[in-house]
Order: sequence, then structure tokens, then C-alpha cells
Amino acid sequence: MAFPHRPDAPELPDFSMLKRLARDQLIYLLEQLPGKKDLFIEADLMSPLDRIANVSILKQHEVDKLYKVENKPALSSNEQLCFLVRPRIKNMRYIASLVNADKLAGRTRKYKVIFSPQKFYACEMVLEEEGIYGDVSCDEWAFSLLPLDVDLLSMELPEFFRDYFLEGDQRWINTVAQALHLLSTLYGPFPNCYGIGRCAKMAYELWRNLEEEEDGETKGRRPEIGHIFLLDRGISVSDVDFVTALCSQVVYEGLVDDTFRIKCGSVDFGPEVTSSDKSLKVLLNAEDKVFNEIRNEHFSNVFGFLSQKARNLQAQYDRRRGMDIKQMKNFVSQELKGLKQEHRLLSLHIGACESIMKKKTKQDFQELIKTEHALLEGFNIRESTSYIEEHIDRQVSPIESLRLMCLLSITENGLIPKDYRSLKTQYLQSYGPEHLLTFSNLRRAGLLTEQAPGDTLTAVESKVSKLVTDKAAGKITDAFSSLAKRSNFRAISKKLNLIPRVDGEYDLKVPRDMAYVFGGAYVPLSCRIIEQVLERRSWQGLDEVVRLLNCSDFAFTDMTKEDKASSESLRLILVVFLGGCTFSEISALRFLGREKGYRFIFLTTAVTNSARLMEAMSEVKA
Amino acid sequence: MDCYTANWNPLGDSAFYRKYELYSMDWDLKEELRDCLVAAAPYGGPIGLQSAPSCWTVLCQDRVAHILLAVGPDLYLLDHAACSAVTPPGLAPGVSSFLQMAVSFTYRHLALFTDTGYIWMGTASLKEKLCEFNCNIRAPPKQMVWCSRPRSKERAVVVAWERRLMVVGDAPESIQFVLDEDSYLVPELDGVRIFSRSTHEFLHEVPAASEEIFKIASMAPGALLLEAQKEYEKESQKADEYLREIQELGQLTQAVQQCIEAAGHEHQPDMQKSLLRAASFGKCFLDRFPPDSFVHMCQDLRVLNAVRDYHIGIPLTYSQYKQLTIQVLLDRLVLRRLYPLAIQICEYLRLPEVQGVSRILAHWACYKVQQKDVSDEDVARAINQKLGDTPGVSYSDIAARAYGCGRTELAIKLLEYEPRSGEQVPLLLKMKRSKLALSKAIESGDTDLVFTVLLHLKNELNRGDFFMTLRNQPMALSLYRQFCKHQELETLKDLYNQDDNHQELGSFHIRASYAAEERIEGRVAALQTAADAFYKAKNEFAAKATEDQMRLLRLQRRLEDELGGQFLDLSLHDTVTTLILGGHNKRAEQLARDFRIPDKRLWWLKLTALADLEDWEELEKFSKSKKSPIGYLPFVEICMKQHNKYEAKKYASRVGPEQKVKALLLVGDVAQAADVAIEHRNEAELSLVLSHCTGATDGATADKIQRARAQAQKK
Repeated sequence: MAFPHRPDAPELPDFSMLKRLARDQLIYLLEQLPGKKDLFIEADLMSPLDRIANVSILKQHEVDKLYKVENKPALSSNEQLCFLVRPRIKNMRYIASLVNADKLAGRTRKYKVIFSPQKFYACEMVLEEEGIYGDVSCDEWAFSLLPLDVDLLSMELPEFFRDYFLEGDQRWINTVAQALHLLSTLYGPFPNCYGIGRCAKMAYELWRNLEEEEDGETKGRRPEIGHIFLLDRGISVSDVDFVTALCSQVVYEGLVDDTFRIKCGSVDFGPEVTSSDKSLKVLLNAEDKVFNEIRNEHFSNVFGFLSQKARNLQAQYDRRRGMDIKQMKNFVSQELKGLKQEHRLLSLHIGACESIMKKKTKQDFQELIKTEHALLEGFNIRESTSYIEEHIDRQVSPIESLRLMCLLSITENGLIPKDYRSLKTQYLQSYGPEHLLTFSNLRRAGLLTEQAPGDTLTAVESKVSKLVTDKAAGKITDAFSSLAKRSNFRAISKKLNLIPRVDGEYDLKVPRDMAYVFGGAYVPLSCRIIEQVLERRSWQGLDEVVRLLNCSDFAFTDMTKEDKASSESLRLILVVFLGGCTFSEISALRFLGREKGYRFIFLTTAVTNSARLMEAMSEVKA
Repeated sequence: MDCYTANWNPLGDSAFYRKYELYSMDWDLKEELRDCLVAAAPYGGPIGLQSAPSCWTVLCQDRVAHILLAVGPDLYLLDHAACSAVTPPGLAPGVSSFLQMAVSFTYRHLALFTDTGYIWMGTASLKEKLCEFNCNIRAPPKQMVWCSRPRSKERAVVVAWERRLMVVGDAPESIQFVLDEDSYLVPELDGVRIFSRSTHEFLHEVPAASEEIFKIASMAPGALLLEAQKEYEKESQKADEYLREIQELGQLTQAVQQCIEAAGHEHQPDMQKSLLRAASFGKCFLDRFPPDSFVHMCQDLRVLNAVRDYHIGIPLTYSQYKQLTIQVLLDRLVLRRLYPLAIQICEYLRLPEVQGVSRILAHWACYKVQQKDVSDEDVARAINQKLGDTPGVSYSDIAARAYGCGRTELAIKLLEYEPRSGEQVPLLLKMKRSKLALSKAIESGDTDLVFTVLLHLKNELNRGDFFMTLRNQPMALSLYRQFCKHQELETLKDLYNQDDNHQELGSFHIRASYAAEERIEGRVAALQTAADAFYKAKNEFAAKATEDQMRLLRLQRRLEDELGGQFLDLSLHDTVTTLILGGHNKRAEQLARDFRIPDKRLWWLKLTALADLEDWEELEKFSKSKKSPIGYLPFVEICMKQHNKYEAKKYASRVGPEQKVKALLLVGDVAQAADVAIEHRNEAELSLVLSHCTGATDGATADKIQRARAQAQKK
């Protein structure tokens, strides 16, 4: 049932090289501070660091004790302190407080700050303002690409999303360009480039500049990856693309992410999953044979698959009954270990499924999904609105409520003023008044807005209303506002057929299209665009879509001669998500790849989901 | 006292100068002071006298410079700290003075000329004598220089008097030349250049290869090859004989190499040609002779002949050229503004553009911008036409040069051609074109660059102008805002104020009410400011919400005072819930009224709170207080959540018809649920009930449903 790759699917390049590069560079930086030293690591960097260099490697290079960077005075008594941090101002102030405290105490130590993935001038400025610029040495650990899986590279920069899409801060774009440059030096140039979105275009141009400055290096290389596709999380100004990220995920990997939060490619399964009293950290990637077969499956198939698997496993175990001594010896030495491993994984995933089921039934998941589907298709808006209201009144979950409000806003091109006010009031009453700031953020990012009937419409409206009685005028106004409601999202989903018409039940066991990742209700916009552009090898014929996305200036293609690219490499496509992508999108594209004989490689600033998206927008009391 | 001003000399109207004696002195010296070197330290310091040295030179040993000084018959070696007397080994006796000394080009050898006409030659370390020579001329020579050649064992010194030139070395005889004119010697790496008013000559040891080939009656392979080639041109069979002779000795490779090498040392193109022709001829009979040396020699000679031309006048020898490298030669040409020749050489040698043509063009451009009589337009255009997009040309360097010559406008024009914004910005800042720098930095997409400009602008402009500049550059503004948010909150406020951005100002104060303020009064005041800002922003919703929050805060404070417990910073919903859980129903209702909590919410809230308290009696009373706006299904659900089936059943009966089936299923009454569903004739409900039927107990019910279904289909 799990879809095997087509026999002609191209081989993926080996991305473990990126890990080795990062590790070697880190070791080099650590060795720059010879002798024993204590290492202060920023919390966000701990998991990525763990994937690159474990504690014993750090110890080998004379790291004595490890501390977390947090707002507490350091207890370290070491003479050399090394800080491994993201370039954030609050970290600079933390380091400054440490150094200045030492100075007051008349203590001199060596300090080294390693910025990852790069340092920013603003940080150095703060160090200078705090008067410690001369006391610390600064370095950069250009670790920007972490291979989470054979086909997934993450920059582990979740703040990219808020910084760019909310605050308009472009500083990470250069980092992306650097990462792309690194990829092209390691894996050859990309003969075909496509992109859409303001940020994608900027990143692309910066990247091109970098290549031009250092030309000659990649020229002679054979391309390993035939296509690169860059796109923004919020492609357009109206941000219809957020719909994908806001929907509940129902593909296994996405669901695990929504439920347990996959962090840096691994997940902490609590006691309710492991059915013991301990939590267990599990790496989720292609090496987990069981997971690899179910990760892209709609959740409704997973149980059936797992039980089938369990039966197969039992049968394999049972084989030993009829064995003679020699066969038994063979079995124990060769197969048993694998079977046991599989057994362990199987029981873990069954535990995870049960736990998910339990949580979902408690929240009345079916109702939720039904509401989401109604929102996507644009019917029963009133009912959905009251569902959301009830959701808020019952304080089900601040993040979930917010998510549904945003979904309603985007699919309807903004809330009608009455709902906009009442939902917000209800929300503030339920979850606290500080969310007034959250709403201000969401409005700025275009995720939760108020419908403003177009000027022309209002003009016509007022003319018409003069001609008819008051009551009729009310109806007409409704009609007009529903006309205005013919939102961008509807127009685009119609144009791109994002909501497939299905006769009868959508067969989730044998999906027909990428919509299966949302139970047959919706094809992720990003994935559909990629599919369409790859089919045409350009944006030609998609003018209307581009216009609707408000991206006429930000859709681009760049093709070079393909004579050097092998046909194999031309079926490898690197998709770059600026601002994060979801596991649902990844699953959808993996499906598309299997259908068309492509293989997709994903590069994202971070893996995201609806909760992370909403949290990024939320203002929480400090 | 009257004479006190006697030694005062007026200078102008208001100043006087005087001079008086410190000591009467007498020096214990044979010479006059004018024959001495005098050194004195300020601040009344000591005075040192030394009779003037007869000659001196600088020695360089182990990267330390020494001075060798001759005073009378003595030699002194000075370094930065000490002065020590030295004696050259094996120096002939009777020397009363040294007249000349010379250090070799490599600083390895030293020659001393004494007043007895004796020349001592030895190592510069003064530890070893190489040879000596007595020329019997006591007149001081005008110049003495070494004449040697790298890797040659021969050492010779050239001594020049007014009309006589003498080459001496480790030999009993010397070579003598007559000088017709006043001449000057220039020591070189591989010989001595001699120039006078009308001639320019080169004196050097004949190189080994040339010697081998051209020595009379030489039988060296090179000589034979040259001879063979000459005979070949004469179409004489002797050519074959010579060639055979070389080949028999197996020396053809060596012969070719000799010819190539000798060609390098020849000054006359004709001679170079015939040697190279011979080499080329010899090469024909060799199977595997690597062509590089021949090709390179041809190229080098071509370059050398070009620069040796009298129009250019750089008389380099081959060895000097190799030592100098092509890069330095090009630099020299560039310094002499011989741009076309330099470019031709680059092109001829196919040097990479970055090292070659581009670099020269850039130099040319830097020269061009200094031409003050040409307009900015024309210069910029001329430069761009020539340079175009040549890789490795830095327009910003050229612009910097233009700016250095005071041509700011030209510099800006040139910067337009610079493709890398990172290079444009620093110069623009230097030229005080900060705003242009800002837009260039933004174009570059490099936020660090933008930030650099911003800080520059911040210091350069007054606050108002700075903010105005930011206003027109959204990207820079958001960058600066981000910085302020973390580092300069007050500036952030000013920024919003400047823009009349009341919405953000309101948000700013709200944030302050959570983060900065501790006391309740302070928080309320911050919220009030926020509310005012929201009103100004015409955001009535936010203003009202903020005012509500102020009311709630005050009220929560009062509740804490009166009832104890934790109320501050709870949401309205949680405040009411806390009140109910604490049994303060009256207060809760009052609060709900004050804040106009909608009925639905209040019902949900009370329902949840009462169920949490397991106050079933109160819950029932509440359920009967009026018709539930949320229906009765939630009652059933919540009771079941608390595992109270008994209570749940009470409410199940009150659930409206649409949700009846669901409610009955919840309390586990499958049979009745089936009845209701059948009554409703609702297919969805029927399947729902069916899915709840568990094998053994509900068999009958399941059958019943199936029958009903069958009946429905019949109809």
C-alpha cells in the first residue's frame, strides 16, 4: 500500500556532506580557542547541534562543560568561555552582562562568540555599545543547511517567518542566498530556476550576484539537480497560500507534527505512546523502515497498514517454529535483530496512533475537519462562524481558535465587519486581552482582516440603495458583500482546481491527486503551482494565476542550456520554501514525484505547521 | 643693572631676542670642527664629535642593517645599539685610509679600496677574504661597484676614475677601458650598466651558454648545432656531419638547450634569431623535446625587445626580467603611462584578464579621471566604453581616485557602473552622499550594509531628518525598528510619533503595560495612553478593548484585595470562572453583566465551572433557570466527561430532536437512540447508531435498524 518509488526514479544526491562540512568548521572554530573551555549554547541551536556534533566530539575538542544560554548568571569557573548563539540582540546583552560582571569582579577570561549561521552588524553594534567589543572575539559558523532526511534540508530558522512576513526584516534573505550558493558549489549549477514571491525573487537575485562574484567555480560542473523552485510561504500580498499551512494535517507525518511536534527531525514520544514510564526521543526519517512506509499516508489508512504489518511480523516470528537447529541459528544471527527493531518501531507507531486517536476524538476532530472543508469550499459560512465562536467560548485552545479565524478570513477575503469585531471580542474575553497585539500582527500580515467592500462597489451600492426601499437595500448590500466575498482564494482555487470535484467518496487508499493530503478536500496551492510550472517549464499560460496572486513582478524563470544536465538530474527538483513548509506539502510533492517520475528535494527555512505559524504571530506576556 | 638689556636685540616692535654664553670651551681635537661629524642631544644633552669618515656603506646581514664606516685606518661596524672596530682578514699592511667601499648586489660581498691603491675583496661578514689586487693607482676612484652574475663563481669589481675603467678580480691582470666621457656606474643583478652623456653600455661576465657556443674553436654541442644550422642554410652537406657528430655524442638535447639559453642573453635581435633558428633546427631531430622552453624564450625575447626599444628605453637583460617578473614590468609600463604597450604585452602573453588587461585599464581609468580639462560626462563615458564589464575592474576604485582628485560628481557617475553595491556604499558615505548610499545599500539586499549606512546617517543628521529619511525607505525603517525594539525602546516610540502611526503607538503602550510597568497604576496609565492612541488611529475596537482591560485590571485588583487569591492578568472568562469556582456566584453574575458577557459564553462557562465543582444540584438549578442558549447536549457531554451517567441522563431527555440521537448514544442508551433514529428516518443517524452497536448486547437493536432500513428502501 505504501507507494514504492518508480524504478526509474532518480537517485538523490548525498547530503551528508553538508553535515561533515558543518562539523569540520565547528571543530576548527573550537580549536581556535585552544585549551579547556565552557560552551554556552543557545536553546534553539541545541537540537541542530546535536545532529552535527554530539557531546563526545565536543569533549574531544576540549569543551569542558555545556551550558544553556538563558537569563541567569553563569556558574562557569572556566578561564575560557565560548558562546554558540544565533545573531540576536538579546544574546548580545546576555554575553555583555556576563563579561561586565567579570570586569567588576576584576576577573579576566577569554570570551569567544560564534554566531550561527552568520553575524549581523547590529549584534556587533550592541557589543560595542555595551563596551565589550574589544573583550570578545567573534566568529561565524556558517551552518545553514541541516539535512533532516534524505530529501529534506532545513535551515532551522523559524524566526525567518516572523522577521520577514511580519516585521519586514530582510536580513535572513542573504543567509538563504549563501545557502543556495553553497548548494550550487557542492552539487553543481541548477540549469532551470523558477520562482514566485517577492522574497523568492530577492533571494534569487542575491544568490545570482554571489555566483557572479565568484564565477568560474561552478561553471565546469555537471549539474546534479536539474531544477530549482523558490517560493515564499506567503506567496501573494493577500496570502492565500497560508491556507495550506492553516489546515489540520491528516497525513501521518503531519499529524505527528501537529500532535507531538517534530523538532529538528526527531520527536519526544511521551509515556502514553511508549506504554512505559519513560519518554523516548525518536528520529523520524527514511531510516525508520516502518515510519517511511506510513509517513505520507492519510491517517485513516495507517492503522490498517500497521496491523497488516504486525501480522506479517508475527508470521515471520512464527517461521522459527518449524526450524531445525541450523536454520534457527541462521534466523537468530541474521534476521532476529532486524525483526526486533521493526517490532520496536511498530509498537511505537501504534502507540503514537492510539495517542493521536485519543486526542482527536476528545476534540471532536470530525467536526473540526468538516468545518475546515466547509470553509475551503465556501459554504455554510454562518455555521462555520458559529462553530468558531463556540470554539472560542469553550476555550478549546487559543492557537486552534486563532487558526480557524485566520482560515475563515483568508478563504472569505476577510471577515465581515460584524464578525470581525465579535470574534475578536470573544477571543479577548476567553484568552486574555494581550491578544489585541496578536490581532494587530495578524492584520499586518494579512492573515486576519476585515472585509472592505471595494470603493466601486460601495458607490454602486449607494446609488442602488437610493432607488429601493430600506429593506431591499439591506438585501442588496448583502448581495454586494457576497460579491466582494468572491475572494482571491476562491478565484485561485477555481482557476487551479484546488478543490477537486469528486463524485462519491474520495478514495484515500488509492489517491488520485495531491488533495489526498487534506482528505481529498484541497490541493496545496504551492504544490499545484509547482506542478503546473514544471509541466510547462515556465509561467506561460499561468498569467491569470500570477495576477490573482498579485505576483506579476515576482514570478521568474531562468533556463540555461541543458546539454550538460543528464536526464536523470533533470528529474530532480529542489523546492525552496522561504518561510517554512508543512509535512503535508512535502507528502503532496512526494506523491506528485511518484506519479510523474520526479524526485523532489525540499529546502525550507524551517518545517512549520499551523500552530507554529500562529505562535509566531502571537504576542504572549513576557 | 643698567646694562642688563645690552644683549637684547629687537625684532619688530614688541619682541627681543638675546644670546649669552654658557661656557668657554676648548676641544681636545686635531681637526677643525668642520671636519667632524657632530651629534648633540636636546634638553642640554651630551655632544658627540667624530672626525668625518672617509667612506661608509650599508651592509645587510640576517635581515639586520649595519653600517660599515671607515675613519682613517680603522673600520667600524655600527648597528642600532653598538659600534665595534673590525679588521678585514688578510688586509695588506700599510693602509692609512680607506677611499672607497662597495657592497655587491646581493649584499654578500664587500670590496675595499685603500689609499695604497690596494683592493681587498671578501665576504660582507668580513670573515673571509676572496682575493686582493693592487692597481697601484693612489687617486681615489670616482666609483667602485661589483660586477657579478647569479650562480656564477666569478667575482669582479669595476673601478672607475675620471677617464679610466678597470675590471679586477681573482687574477693577476686587470681589464682596462678608457672612458671618453664622464660616466656613471649602475650595479645590476648580472652586471654593470655604464652610462654617459652619449652612451649607455652594459658590462657583464659572458654567460656560460654564450661562452660555450661562441668561444673560438668551441666543440660544445651548442656551437656545433649553430654551425650545422648555418651549413644547412647554405645547403651544404656539412650540416649533416655536424649534426651526426652531436647525435653520436648524444648531446642534441643539450645543444638545443644551449642555443635557447644563449639566445636569451643576446641583445641583438639578429643574433637571437640565428640562435633560436639553430635551436628550432635541432629540435626537428629530437623525438620528445618539451616545447615550453623554446616557446617561452621566444615570447620573453619578444617582450624584451619591445621594451628595450629606444622609444620605451627599459634596457632589461633576460636575467633581470626573470627576476623582476612580468607583473612588475607591467607596473613599470603603467607608471610610465605606456598603457597600449602594456595591454599588447598582456594580450600577447595571454595573461588572465584580472591580472592583465583589466588591471591596466583600471590604472588607465585612474589616470584618466585626473584629466581636469575633460568634462565629467566625457570621462565617465570614455571609461565605460573602454572598460565595459571587463571582469576584475573595480569601478569603485576608479571612483575613489576621482573623488581623491576632488571630482565628486565624476565619482558618482562612475559608481553607477559599479555592479556590486557593497563597493559603492562606503565611498558614497565618504563623499557624504548618505541618502544615495542608503538607497544603494537597500538595492544590494545586504542588511548589514543598510545598517552601516543607517548608523552613519543617525550620527550625521539630526533626529528629525533622520526619521524623515527612514520614512521614505520602508526596508530600512523596518530594519531599524527591529533594532530599536530590542535596544532602544524610546527611539521606537519617537519613530511612531514622528509618523503619526497611532496604531503602532497604541500597541507599543500596550506592550509596555505588560513588560515595563509593575504597579497597577502604571499599567492602567499605559493602557490609557494606548487607548488614546487607538482613538487617534480611529481603531475604536482596540480603544474599547483597551478600556475594558483597564476596567478589568482595576476590578481584578479589587477582587484580590477583597477576596484574596490570584486574579490579576486573568482573562475575563477566567476571572468569572475563578469567581464561580470560589463560590462567589453573585460577583460572577455582576461581572458578566458589567462586561456584557454574551449568554452563550456565560452558559458554557457556568456549565464547565459547575461540573468541575461537581455541584450537580446547582447545575440542575442553572439548567432550569431559563432555556439554554447552547442546547442541552453540552450538559450531557460534560456530565459524561465527569463520568456521571446519572446526571447525564437527566439532560439527555431535554436535548433537542436534532441532537437527540447523539445524546442518547453518549449516555449509552443505544436502543432508545435507535428508536429515535428510526423515527427520524435519518440515514446518517441510523449508521451512527449502528456503528455504536456492539455485537452481543445490541444484537436486537442492530437487527431493528436493518429492518427499518429495509423498509425505508421498499417505500
